[in-house]
Amino acid sequence: MKDIPPLEKLPHEIMEEIRERERKVNFVKAIFLDIFFVFYSILVIQRAIYYKFILDLRDIPFSWTEIGWIFATSAIIGSLWAYSRTSLSCKLFGVSKDGNVTKWTVEIFAWLLFDITFIAGWIVTKISIVSLFSADGIHGAERLFGALFTPQFGIFDDALFAMIETIYIALLATLISIPITLFISFFTARNLMRDNKFTFAIYYILRIILNFVRSIEPLIWAIIFSVWVGIGPFAGMIALLVHTIASNAKLYSEAIEGIEEGPVEAISATGANKVQIVWHAVVPQIVLPFLSFTIYRWDINVRMATIIGLVGGGGIGTMLMQYQGLARWREVGLIVIMIAFVVYIMDYISAKIREAIY
Amino acid sequence: MLLRIENLHKIYKSGTHALKGVNLQVSEGEFLVVIGLSGSGKSTLLRCVNRLLEPTSGKILFFDKDITHIKGEELRSVKKQIGIVFQQFNLIKRRSVLSNVINGRLGSLGTFESILENYSDGVLADARKCLETVGIPEYSSVRADTLSGGQQQRVAIARSLMQNPKLLLADEPVASLDPATSNSIMQYFDRINKEMGTTVICSLHFLSLVRRYATRVIALKAGELVYEGLPVDIDEAWFKKIYGEEAEEVEIK
Repeated sequence: MKDIPPLEKLPHEIMEEIRERERKVNFVKAIFLDIFFVFYSILVIQRAIYYKFILDLRDIPFSWTEIGWIFATSAIIGSLWAYSRTSLSCKLFGVSKDGNVTKWTVEIFAWLLFDITFIAGWIVTKISIVSLFSADGIHGAERLFGALFTPQFGIFDDALFAMIETIYIALLATLISIPITLFISFFTARNLMRDNKFTFAIYYILRIILNFVRSIEPLIWAIIFSVWVGIGPFAGMIALLVHTIASNAKLYSEAIEGIEEGPVEAISATGANKVQIVWHAVVPQIVLPFLSFTIYRWDINVRMATIIGLVGGGGIGTMLMQYQGLARWREVGLIVIMIAFVVYIMDYISAKIREAIY
Repeated sequence: MLLRIENLHKIYKSGTHALKGVNLQVSEGEFLVVIGLSGSGKSTLLRCVNRLLEPTSGKILFFDKDITHIKGEELRSVKKQIGIVFQQFNLIKRRSVLSNVINGRLGSLGTFESILENYSDGVLADARKCLETVGIPEYSSVRADTLSGGQQQRVAIARSLMQNPKLLLADEPVASLDPATSNSIMQYFDRINKEMGTTVICSLHFLSLVRRYATRVIALKAGELVYEGLPVDIDEAWFKKIYGEEAEEVEIK
């Protein structure tokens, strides 16, 4: 065992150092955030509000040099603003000078940010009251709704089998995901991995991968896998599986992060090793939330499986797509009603099961 | 000497300076009680002793072995010898009383064995014996969270007894219990101390309990040791010094 050097610094010095470091880190964060705020405001005001709304340009001029100039400008303004210690981010990170100047700039700028974001959103989404209430549009909608509510029962048998296929796709994706997710989730729980640098690196890398996988919608995964393994239920199942693992791993590991620390402390105080601590103190606390998430996910997967069918993932969605392509709205009506019915039942069952296990 | 603490400092990451140079010696067989206001550093001190926390500086010697900064296997072997009982019991709520008690032995059991919960007869017999020691053998198969507070604390004591501890720490073990139950829980600590010869370090709030059970008392105030002596010597003046001028002693019989 190596010798521990005696106390080389006074305790209050150590504390001061900790605080000083924290202040510095927060100040650097504040600079970056301020630059971003200014950059964002200039871009939004110039592009969405000035070009698109005021000048009403069809093609908005774009050049990287211009963006670069805007960024350079905002970098200067942002950092000067942060250095003055009166900026919004300084306030957010608690490193601002307190005074009336800070109060006013923060309030004005926060309102500005909110307002331009709302206005830009309004312009970008092309909100139009006129098209919502145009006679033509309403007439078309009436025709479609009429067909949907007078379903054609001729294809009921086929639709039923496709529906069952969909439920099984969802069920299998959920079941297979359980052991894999369980395994991964322990490595993506901050409280279990933060103790040393190596495990923390694993935690970080896994989190990035999972975030990436999760950010790709199951619909896109279905397209990828229908090329990979061919169109059909298998592609749909794998697509759901991948997304289920990524999203549930996050939920699971959040459940692990939210456990009571007391039992963990108690078990680790008995001299138990890491695996024993996880098994005897962490696992008993997370079994129920895990079960609940998984059942809820099955419910979600049934809904998603219908959508995935639209791009060739098999099941009722594929069938829906075929009849929609043929513009046979009454058959589509039957399928939509069946989907709604099954989703409602699944929702009810999963809620009941989750209630029962708690 | 069982435990020697030299100039111990603990500074949390948040900047709180919880212990400010505590010096303390504990010899075998003592029943040492730590008193002081909430936030005075009692919990921090206990958690540094069994190394749930790593001290910032200073030294902790356990049987003359420096345990201040040990890690890994070495740390676990020390933790095995020190039991701890918490204010909030910290049992595994959904598991049975018996498996909670067996958890105390985890440090000595193999990883695989403990995961399969394939315990030897010896371990099971020990666990039953520990439950008998705290007087609740009949509850071994019920779920821990169905028990009352006092019973849960007894399970927690049984769990720490499974470690055959050389030193038993108790962090405000009776602070969330009613006065009658508090006294009966303290009697178990007393018996463990007298009959098994286990050294006990316990933080408490009620001076009546302190006077009845402690062989020695220390008081912490804002992270500093302000009193060390016999329980009978804590008079009005000391009490006010430890708990502040406003404080008055509340006696619960």
